Amino acid sequence: MDTTLPAVAEELLKEIKKAFQETSHGRDKFFFRLKFIFGPSAVPALDLVDQRSVTRVMSPSGRTAYQVLGSSGKLYTCYSSCHFCTCPAFGFSVLQKSESLLCKHILAVYLSQAMGACQELSVSEEQLTSILLAEEEDEG
Amino acid sequence: LCRGGLAERLCRLQNRERSAISFWRHQCISDAKIPSDKSGVLIVKILEMFEECTIQVAICQQLEQCPAMLSSEDAVISAGEPILKVLFARETAAHLKSRPQDIIHIYPPWQKLLLKNADVPVIMNTHFSQKVLLGERSETREKTYGLTKMLIRKNIISLAQTFRLDDLDDELHQEPSDNQVACAPQIPNNCDSKQHPLAQSAVNDSLLEMVESQGAVGWREAQVRVVIQRVYCLPAREGYRSHIQGNKPLHATPPLSNRGMFCRLCLLVQDAYGMFSEVQLQSLGSADDIEQYCGRWEGKFCCLAGMKILQRTTRGRALGLFSLIDSLWPPVVPVKVPGQSQDSEMMTTNLPPPSFCYILTVQSGEIHVEVDEEEQISNLYQPPAVRGLKEILQIDGCNERCSFWAQVLYLRLQTKHSVPINQRETWLFVTDSTLQNVVHIIPKVVAVSVAASCVLSRGITEALGIASRLVFFKDALWGNGRIICVERTVLLLQKPLLYSAAGADLSELTGPVRLDELDSATQANSICAVRGTVVGVNESTAFSWPTCDRCGNGKLELCPQDRGSLYCNQCSEMVVSPVLKMQLEVFLSCPSRSQSTVKVKVWHKMSFGLFVLINMLLSLQSYEVQSVLGKEVGLLSCYVHSVTSHPNCVALEEIVLL
Repeated sequence: MDTTLPAVAEELLKEIKKAFQETSHGRDKFFFRLKFIFGPSAVPALDLVDQRSVTRVMSPSGRTAYQVLGSSGKLYTCYSSCHFCTCPAFGFSVLQKSESLLCKHILAVYLSQAMGACQELSVSEEQLTSILLAEEEDEG
Repeated sequence: LCRGGLAERLCRLQNRERSAISFWRHQCISDAKIPSDKSGVLIVKILEMFEECTIQVAICQQLEQCPAMLSSEDAVISAGEPILKVLFARETAAHLKSRPQDIIHIYPPWQKLLLKNADVPVIMNTHFSQKVLLGERSETREKTYGLTKMLIRKNIISLAQTFRLDDLDDELHQEPSDNQVACAPQIPNNCDSKQHPLAQSAVNDSLLEMVESQGAVGWREAQVRVVIQRVYCLPAREGYRSHIQGNKPLHATPPLSNRGMFCRLCLLVQDAYGMFSEVQLQSLGSADDIEQYCGRWEGKFCCLAGMKILQRTTRGRALGLFSLIDSLWPPVVPVKVPGQSQDSEMMTTNLPPPSFCYILTVQSGEIHVEVDEEEQISNLYQPPAVRGLKEILQIDGCNERCSFWAQVLYLRLQTKHSVPINQRETWLFVTDSTLQNVVHIIPKVVAVSVAASCVLSRGITEALGIASRLVFFKDALWGNGRIICVERTVLLLQKPLLYSAAGADLSELTGPVRLDELDSATQANSICAVRGTVVGVNESTAFSWPTCDRCGNGKLELCPQDRGSLYCNQCSEMVVSPVLKMQLEVFLSCPSRSQSTVKVKVWHKMSFGLFVLINMLLSLQSYEVQSVLGKEVGLLSCYVHSVTSHPNCVALEEIVLL
């Protein structure tokens, strides 16, 4: 059977985008829905949006990626072509347990897009490649 | 979290919701009966269930009747019943422990989402859900099933499926209002519907009840039906913004044009109990459409929802507002009495006028004022009572609102330089047939003061600058022997469709307008007609100056490029052929006021002799004052600057009537 949740999430984000474009009022309705669908990721994601933590990184060839400055100060990379984030929560909640649709960083990316709060950064092809292929830094 | 940010807002809303949910759940446990208030409750029967990322998705059939009447064995899906996809949060699902065939009651507030290209609506925010147990058979089934753990299929979501926020066919996109929200028990699914605002259940008709039954936070759900008695603009408290172009001198630009200030559209409404309220709507850039709003809205019913209480004001603190309310008191139809049944109504003759009034405003930009323009005018509406100026001048009281229809003859802006331009008052000199057609001690022309707080539309200011106009003054204030236009007074270019004119003489003025002639009763700040003979000339006041032939600007400058030519910065062009204006102060002997020295600054209709004299004076040629002495001057229209008794002197200035 087809899944339901992705279509609902997409529609909700579209609505938010439309609402924020036209008027900055009546947001409460969307807050409740956001919380319902995305659960515990909603408040942290909005916090990331408030702090303008999301940057869209573009290269001359048109390739894009997103970098989100997490609350711990670490920079996470989110892909634009599929739902992927380099944060540990993504690996655990989304990949392993299928408990969440998105991690807070990916949700922050979508919300920033919807509300026009994305920062923009242009980089060279080499730089974008290194972002996408970033090795995990060794701890300690 | 950022102060004032979105996350903080969601946190607060979430906390409120959480306490509401736990309170509700507690109530359900302690009181297992189904609450009688059924409005907004969704009744569904679960057909199939699965899980996606901790959210439980239930394919359900929406039921219309009370499920107690359905046998639980009737598992047949009837074709007519609509199918819904109901989403339950993890907590709710754990609380419900529902299975297929269970019947669930979902109480508001729940939300509905319609997906494009999908027939099945999605129901979410279903926190207030309760499973309905149907008798003994169900209970045993519960017990049996309770022992075995039910396995629910879990759908795995593909990561490859990203969300597209840009719609290719965005133009065909549904209005967000299609995704309906059930706000509260009172209002079923359709908050945003503009078609049938009055079809909602429980539309109230008492403002006081509305106000007293809500906290100061404001209410969203309930609606009050009221009659719009007056529509007007109030200057915005945020401060005036005037559109002055630089520091242009006053007489260069038409008067009243510098009054572009931000204002708020307001309604004075009255409910079925006779209580008034002032509703402040959105801020407008200008009052230009006020005439339209008045025409379309006054007298009609409207529904208010989602208002916030700004203030509860009393008679002593808001004299202007209450003078308007008093003019609408007593009500013209009997009003209801609170506490008594709907049928009994009270006679209105002995009701005391209101002593308090609520000022309401809209919540955060969302306007919930539905004016029923199609419906008839309410019986409660009191149109402005038009009176003749003669009658108004004889009113005994103070602070009384009056409406009249008059011809504006002359306009004068206050010139006190200590007052900012956009706060100066303007004087309009008006007359009507009641003043013109009688020979009395009542003046033929009356000065009406327009305060800065009376917001004028651009249509009015432009019209007044051009020619003499008939203007409708609605709800001007009479007091201390003067008519003033203040807050809540509206000036209109057309008579409203509805007005009452109890015996007032509203006939048009026939023939030319006559001014009172200068006499011993003439006072300062009035206009009059003057005739007399020249007995002296004030040589030092001889003055001539060039004016722009296009706009009449009297302050021309030297052209920056070509210092020999003149430049008008109103028109932003060079002035090729300026019009030369001259003025001179002459002393007249007027038979109508023979005891006084009459000093007139003439510049417009001066006789040829005076014209020649000025030229001579200005060119320092030898002149003969004798040549103008004894010349007749008149009939001039003049504005009276001042009247002094010691010395007995009247200072006048020649004016041009509109």
